[in-house]
Order: sequence, then structure tokens, then C-alpha cells
Amino acid sequence: MPAPVNTDLLQGRWFDGQSSRARPVMVSLRPTPQGPSLVLHPLSQPGAEPVVFAWKDVGWPEAWNEHKPQPRVVVDLRDHGSLEIDAVSDWRAALAAAGERPGLAQRMQTRWPVLLGVTAAAVIGLTLFYRYGTPWAATQLTRFVPLGWETSVAENVLKQMDDGTLKPSKLPKERQEQLKARFDALVQQTPTTMHRYPDYRPPLSLEFRSGMGANAFALPGGKIVMTDGIVKTATDQGLPDDALVGVLAHEIGHVMYRHTTRMVVEQGVLNMGLGLALGDVSTVVSTGASVLTGLAYSRNHEREADCYAIALMNHTALPTAPMGKLLLAIAHDEEEEEENKKKEEEKAGQDKTAAPKADPGASSPERARQRKTAEEMASHPVWSLLSSHPDTVARASELEKGHAPHCTKN
Amino acid sequence: MSQFSSDRDSAAGPMSTFMPQNIDAHPMEFTGSGGEYFRVWIVNVLLSIVTLGIYTPWARRRTAQYFYSHTLVAGSPLEFTAQQRKMVMGFVLLMLITLAYNIAANTGQDAAVGVLLLTGAVLSPLIWGSAMRFRLGATRWRGLRLQFTAHWKEVYLASWPLFALALVWFGVFFGMQILSPELADVLQEVEDEAANPKMPSFTPVMGALLLLGLVLTVLCFIRLEYNYKSLLVLKAQVGAEKGRWKPVYMDFVKVWLATVAVFVLTVVGFSVLIGVLAGSSIALFAGQSSRMGLWMILVIIVSIIAGIFMLILASAPARAYREARMFQLMWNNIGVSHVARFKCHLKSSSYVGLRIKNMLLTLLTLGLYRPFARVSEYRMKCESVTLHVKGGVEQVAGAMVRQQQGGLGDALADAAGLDLIG
Repeated sequence: MPAPVNTDLLQGRWFDGQSSRARPVMVSLRPTPQGPSLVLHPLSQPGAEPVVFAWKDVGWPEAWNEHKPQPRVVVDLRDHGSLEIDAVSDWRAALAAAGERPGLAQRMQTRWPVLLGVTAAAVIGLTLFYRYGTPWAATQLTRFVPLGWETSVAENVLKQMDDGTLKPSKLPKERQEQLKARFDALVQQTPTTMHRYPDYRPPLSLEFRSGMGANAFALPGGKIVMTDGIVKTATDQGLPDDALVGVLAHEIGHVMYRHTTRMVVEQGVLNMGLGLALGDVSTVVSTGASVLTGLAYSRNHEREADCYAIALMNHTALPTAPMGKLLLAIAHDEEEEEENKKKEEEKAGQDKTAAPKADPGASSPERARQRKTAEEMASHPVWSLLSSHPDTVARASELEKGHAPHCTKN
Repeated sequence: MSQFSSDRDSAAGPMSTFMPQNIDAHPMEFTGSGGEYFRVWIVNVLLSIVTLGIYTPWARRRTAQYFYSHTLVAGSPLEFTAQQRKMVMGFVLLMLITLAYNIAANTGQDAAVGVLLLTGAVLSPLIWGSAMRFRLGATRWRGLRLQFTAHWKEVYLASWPLFALALVWFGVFFGMQILSPELADVLQEVEDEAANPKMPSFTPVMGALLLLGLVLTVLCFIRLEYNYKSLLVLKAQVGAEKGRWKPVYMDFVKVWLATVAVFVLTVVGFSVLIGVLAGSSIALFAGQSSRMGLWMILVIIVSIIAGIFMLILASAPARAYREARMFQLMWNNIGVSHVARFKCHLKSSSYVGLRIKNMLLTLLTLGLYRPFARVSEYRMKCESVTLHVKGGVEQVAGAMVRQQQGGLGDALADAAGLDLIG
């Protein structure tokens, strides 16, 4: 490389912004503490003073390619017009000699090691951010969400579901009262030390509905809904009411950890962040990334609620094993149901399946209604990434043992 | 000085300083490459990921600068000179508006959502105007800034089809109610999510009304496009020279009719193809269906997705065709006062072919081919245009344009899907 001295003069054409007429000029660069400054020597008026532009008064064109410079480069002199230079390689060399500090973007696109380094940093940073950062931020932000907002959202959602898939419960009054009494006793015994949000005291209440199969779900603000189906499954299996109380403890966990509100925040961060970052690649990639991450958050919430249930049941000296049995029974029932349905369909020669869709607004409904059954899930790890709940068999065995490895002591 | 300029101009193209009334042809050039832009683009994507999307305004500016600085008009590159600060502020404002809208929509505040949507609709001409003002004001060639000089009043007057559109649909809606009072009840029932509403009888008169509404809608959209494009060219200015515009409304209607014809042809072609393929695959499945229960669900889901996908695919040739025809129409019929004319020799068929090829490659690579696609499409369009200048490129003079426009218009235009490049 011919060692360029920063007093070297480059030929240029200066356009003053008043007309499209080019004026021949000589350009030189001077190093200054901020970066190179540009000196313009007009050739059209002999003896005219050179004009000096400080580093910050010039829009410096970016270098796009180190090996193959563009044929002509334009320097933005802001209100003083623009400057065209043909000798782009010499211009780049002069800039480097005058102490130009290229930005990160320019270094990334002209130097492979920088690009690879930033890629690695991006992958690590992204993983850490979406694995730990977003859930943490959601937990913190949720502190500022008032209970009133949660209650109004819950009312809206429940009303929509009542108009849609849910029907009034057909359970006898006495049975409802019986379960409500157990629920109230459980709430009474809930120790305040277990709560992540110490000042969060939502009014917990239990309601019954039919429809949606064997299910239970928590709405933000403290309303918990149990379907007739789950009560019936527990009775059919000959399980004690402790199984249902365990499910309720799990749902109380969702309420106390404010999972719905946290999910709203997390999903917002995901959609916006990943949409902006990956939207230019393709919507498939950005939507896929945010759906998969959202499902991972949902599984974490389920684990958290399970831990809460285990802790609460231990605290109140109730067994968690029945709840585990109930989970397995639900999964088993649904498998059979699906099989039956399929057989019927095959007979009828229809290919329409009423794919039941849970209301997205409802907080993590106890959907054992996954498309794949537990056994199949265990054998296909890919499916477990596409599920909103952790593997049912693993959950059930943890519940039967009464402790899970991922639950921290607190 | 004239010596210097003639030297340089002879390098740029066949140019004569002795006969200033001669018309010189300058084909536009694009000196960028797909591989080079890929690196610019991947850097943008990476930095956007790292900064959680906040890098977007910087990425937009760098993209624009890449394309502008590699576009040579009569030998001189274009310049994109928007201030980064303004673009960032526009972006932040847009994000705040989006956030407000999302919060309102997610918490069921219908009134706030309605107000935001209505405000957006009423302000959309203003947004378009400020986006164009920003775009032209940020473009410089040989030191001269382009300008968009349309007044807000002119922009709103040009937007009349937008408001006519609202009137048309009010008319259709009330017409329907008069023709069939029970329809309103059905609509109400549908809103209340009542199961199986009884469909009222559908008379030919109602069909005709609906068809009339649709035709008027399309005509309004064409008129809007025509109005905006002509306003953009007529009110654009380089130095003191104003834009010239020749196309008439019917030219636009013809392009649309041709587009519809292309669309119908592709749909017919696709249907035949799918019919043949689907027929054979159903036969295949029918043979095995006794064991395929679970897979049937998957097949149904896949076929629904494939259907949507096919619609996008089937409309792609028509969309590309329309873009090519519109590009030809524009660049064959506009100019800069009496100084310059443009001629365009873009071939519709090769542009459509390129677009289909690019779309398939982009899909196959999950979007990684997008920068190559963008460059090849831009290159084909850019290099199809020839600038014919009467009297040399040095004669354009004009008052200094100092003011820089705010970036909100650009950010909003971006959100609305108006691309900065193209």
C-alpha cells in the first residue's frame, strides 16, 4: 500500500447545493482529536482560502466493501453541498491515515472476524435475554400492574368463554359447596411467606362450569374455574378430593405468581422485540421464534405452579400423589377419546375434526388436551418444544413423589 | 472549469459541451451487488437482534445509503442525507403510538382503540405527505436536494377517493338494510356469537349492489393511486425545476384490468395443477387412511396453510406484473420540466420471472435470500431507466434548500409497508 501522507491532495468535484454545476477542488484530510477534518481547496478561484470542515460537520460515507470500493463516493457537507471523489481507494487510505475510527457496523461488514464475533455475542446475549431477562423483567413490571386491571380482564374473558364453549355447571349444589369448603380451607391455610408478591392479596374464589372436557384454569385476579369433567374424572378413578384440592393449589399458584399478567408482558416483549429484529428476515422466522419462546415461558409457569402446589400441599399436610394420578387419568382419557373419535370418523369417512381451541385469554388452562398424548410426547422430544405444558408423565411422577428437582426451597 | 467538467462528463456518458441543445442519453447504473448488500443486511439484522429492535432507524438509514450511493444518475451517485436523530425520534414516537394502541386493544378499551384507528385514518393523507416530503428532502443529487412542495391542502384534496370510499360503503350498508331488513338482525346475531344464524334470502338486487360497491371501491383505489403518484411527480422539484407528468387516469385503469387478467389466468392455471396433484394425493391417502387417523389432522392443517400460501403464490405474478407495468408507465411518462425525460425499457415478463424466482428462493432459505432478491429487483428496475437530458446536466440551478424534515412520517410510512427502496 502506498503510504499516504495526510497532506496528500485528492481530486474532487464540489457541488455547492445551489446548482448542479461541479467545481473542481482538491481535498485533504487532517487528523484532529475527534477524527479527521476535511479541507477543501477550491481550484476555480485562484488564491481563495481553503475551507475547513470539522469532523462533526461532515456526513462521512460508510465503507461497504474493503476489496472492491464503489466507483465514486459522495461526501455530505450538509448545508455546504456535497463532494464527489473518484479515487475511492486513496480516499479510504487517507481517512485511515488521518485517524478515522470506523463504526461497529462498518467494521462488521468489512471484516469477517468482527462479524463472526458479533454473531456469537448476539446468539449468547439473545439466549440469556430471552431465557432470563424477559421473565425477570416481566416479574418486576407486573408489580406495577393494579389488581383492578386484572379483575376487569378476567371478567371480560370469562364472559366471552361463557358465551362460547362454557356452559353452567350441572354438579349438584351440595357437591359444589363441599368442594368450595375445601377450597376456602386451603386458602385460609396459605402461608404468606410463599408469595413472590407480598402485597398482592387477590380475593380467591372458585366457580364451576361444564364444557371444555376435564379442565381447570385460573383467571388473573383470583377467580378459579373448575369443569364438571375434572370432578367426574376424579370420581370415576376413585380418587379422593385431595386430587382436586391439589389441582386447585396449582391454580392458586398461577394466581399468586400472577402468571397471566407476566405472560402478557412477556408476549409483548417477544412480539415486539423479535418482530423488529427478525421481521426483515421473514415473518415465518420471527413468528416461529416468538411462539416457541412463548411456549417455553408457559412451561416454566406450569412448573412454578406445580412447585407452589407441592409446597402448599406439604404445608397443609395433604398428599400430592392423588393429583398426579388425576393428571395421568385425564391424559389417558383424552387419548382414548381421540382414538374413539378417530374410529368414528374413519367409519363416517369424514375428515373434519373439531380441533378444540382454548381461549387464549384464559390463564394457562389445565390443558391436558394436547394433540399428542403423554407417551408419544416422551418419545418425540421435538413435540415437547411445541407444548404449553411440561411432559405429563414427568409431572405426575414428581407430584406422586411430592417433590421436584427444579423447585427451589424458599 | 468548463474544461474540467467536460472531461468528467465524457467519462460519464456521451456528452457534448459544444452543442448544448443536444439531447444526451444517460442510462442509470446500479453498482452494488447482492453479496455486498447481504453483509450490510446481516449486520443490520444482528444489531437489531442485539438491541432488541432499537437499531431499526439506523438500519433503515444504512440500507437507504447503500442503495442510493450505488445508484448512478448521469454518472453521479444519489445521496441519502436524512439526519439520524430525526429518524430515531420518529421511530420512538411510532413505538409509543404502537404501544398505546396495543395496551388499549389488549385491555379491551374499545373507545380508545376506535379513536386511535379513526385518527389514523383521518391523518393518513398527512402521513403519506410527510413521508414523501421526508423522502424527497433527504435525497440529493449533484448537491441539489429534491423537494416535495405540495401543500397539506393539496394532499387532502388529492385524497378525496379515500373519503369517497367511506361514503360508498355507507351507501352499500344502508342500501342492504333497505333491501333486506332481516340482514341487520343476522349481523347482530353473528356479533353475539349465536350459533347457526338463519341466512336471509339473497336477492339479485343485493348482489348487484354489492358488486357495484366492490367496483367503486377498486375505482376509488386506482384513483387514489393516480392522484398520489401524479401529485408526487408534479410537486417534486429538483433545484428550481418541477416535475412533469403525462399519464391519465385511464392508463392506470388499463394496468389494473391487465393485472386482473393475469391474476385470473394464474389462478386458473394453479387450480388445474392443484386439482391434478390433490386428486392423486387423496387417492394415495384413501388407500392408507385406516391407520392415518392422527396424521389426517396434520394433513388438514397442512392443507389449510398450503391454501393460504397458494393464494399468496398465485397472486405473486399478478402483483409483480402490476408493479412492472406501473413502473414502465411512470418512467416512460415523467420528466423534469423541459430539461430531462425518462425512458424505461423494463420487460414485464422478465420482471415477473425474476420476482417468482426470488420469492421461491426466499421461501426456501427462510428469508436469507431476501437481500439478494432486493438487489436483483432493484437493479433490473434501476438499469431499465435511461435519462435523456437536454442541454447538459450542469444547468440545473435552484435555491438552497435548508430545512430537514422530521422522521415520523418516514417511520409511519415504514409501518404502513411503504418501502424506502424501490
